[in-house]
Amino acid sequence: MIGDSRGRTVAVVVGCSAVLGAAANADPRPAVEERSRLEVQPSDASFRQVTLDNPLGDVRVEGYDGTAIVVETYKRAPDGGTIDRLRVSLIPSADGRLRIATGVVDGRDFRPVTRSQVRVDLVIRAPRNARIEASTAGGRLQVENMDAGGELDSSSGAIAITNVSGQLITHSVSGPTSLTQVFGSVDAATLWSDLVLDTIGGPKLVASATMGKIDGRRVRSQEIELTTTGGAIVVEAETSVRGHLVVSTLQGNIDVRVRRRGPVLVRARAAKVNLGPRVSEVQRQAGWSTAIVGSRSDPAAVVELQSRYGVVQFAIVE
Amino acid sequence: MTCEDTQRELTSYLDGELDVDRGRAVRGHLRGCAPCRTAAHSESILRDGLRSLPTLDPPAPLWSGVRRRLAEAEVADARRPRWRRVVAGWGRPVRGLGLALGGVAIAMGIAVWHAMERQMERQQGQPTVAVLSSVPVVDRSPCSSGEPHDVALALASEPTCVTEAYAAAAADLMRTAHGQRAQWDNDRRARFDAQLDKVRRDVEVAPEGRPRQSAYRAMIRFLQRVTTRDGMLADARGVR
Repeated sequence: MIGDSRGRTVAVVVGCSAVLGAAANADPRPAVEERSRLEVQPSDASFRQVTLDNPLGDVRVEGYDGTAIVVETYKRAPDGGTIDRLRVSLIPSADGRLRIATGVVDGRDFRPVTRSQVRVDLVIRAPRNARIEASTAGGRLQVENMDAGGELDSSSGAIAITNVSGQLITHSVSGPTSLTQVFGSVDAATLWSDLVLDTIGGPKLVASATMGKIDGRRVRSQEIELTTTGGAIVVEAETSVRGHLVVSTLQGNIDVRVRRRGPVLVRARAAKVNLGPRVSEVQRQAGWSTAIVGSRSDPAAVVELQSRYGVVQFAIVE
Repeated sequence: MTCEDTQRELTSYLDGELDVDRGRAVRGHLRGCAPCRTAAHSESILRDGLRSLPTLDPPAPLWSGVRRRLAEAEVADARRPRWRRVVAGWGRPVRGLGLALGGVAIAMGIAVWHAMERQMERQQGQPTVAVLSSVPVVDRSPCSSGEPHDVALALASEPTCVTEAYAAAAADLMRTAHGQRAQWDNDRRARFDAQLDKVRRDVEVAPEGRPRQSAYRAMIRFLQRVTTRDGMLADARGVR
């Protein structure tokens, strides 16, 4: 329930609330809409974590320089009775965490409605240094401008992360996932959807998809591990000294372009391997093609590429 | 179906001795009652262990949808009093006849509609153009059934359905890994078996919902590494 607060640490200031009603007609789209806005102020310590569970729609989290958390709620349903069933709960705790969850009141007295007839979207403005844990079902999950990382989960909704730093974990069954301008350790996984990585830096990047492809641009993490079962992997990465880039797939093709800083040891194994024109003195042993690019005396970054049934394409980009 | 009823019949249920109707009711209750589910889970571990993943031959989304619909029907059954389940059982033959008659009526209706349409085309001298104004959106959700049911029930079945999607993906990878295992040396097989036992145990002991999904994701990650890397410097534990 909106404003259902526990604990004395948080003061809730209701900003404004409006109910917009529309006449029900034959249109199957939701006919009643309710919007509300809450501002939650910390009284003692600042918020350090926001947990959001919204199986009924989208979640959008925007970081900003303030200390309060602003919650905008958009509910839609076929009628007023149903909209009253849609609940948004705010549960603050004394240690600086706030949980926001949506749900539906169950019971035999209510008119049954299908999932597609109702919707609750949440737009959250949170202090940048709060960690975000959020989950959606089919709704889109967007996080922007946060500095403490988080864990994001969706069933089939898209996950879109922009300008986030800190340790970040994302997982989705079939929602396309895109990470842009993420700096920190990243672990991203999908089952049946694609993964797009753009401008990623930090100590470690581990990304995997089973039946989806991975597309990476401007990837600069120290340790990079990209894995698919059935999808292609295309990545343009920058290797760091002593860094490690591991790209492996069962059935997909691999296309890796590397901007090197220092020497690079390349090992590749696939049905067909092409290490590009800049790589010479390729040694072939036990199915592996191996070469060193640059000075052999300096510590090298290691690039390992393997596709059991696909093609490996590699190139050094100067 | 109460918790007491379920506890009383749990042993018979696990032994497969209950009739279909009673079995569905117990199963439906277990789906909605965490304490009874935990008790059933513990007992089933004692009996035959949950050491192997289910083998799922149909495509994962299809199988998930079938199991979810069965689960929903069972939950609905569990909520109905016993006398209604008995009456419903009597009503099945009648319903079957009704469905058959309904099917004949629909077929006749379609035939009449087609005949009328052809007649109109002839009268107008031009063919009817079928307008696809609303192309159905392909819902890739593992939990979309397409069947109308209340949103509360849909939300309740979502965690199980997502877990089943992860389980199906893990089972697919498991088959691939076992296919490759035959070609490995004994040392690699032993390491694989030991690690697999660990991730399986993690799945089995994880509570239903997000913890179990997380355990399945770890299993999937392990199996992906094993099946895609052969002789790499980076081993199944990752890059370092």
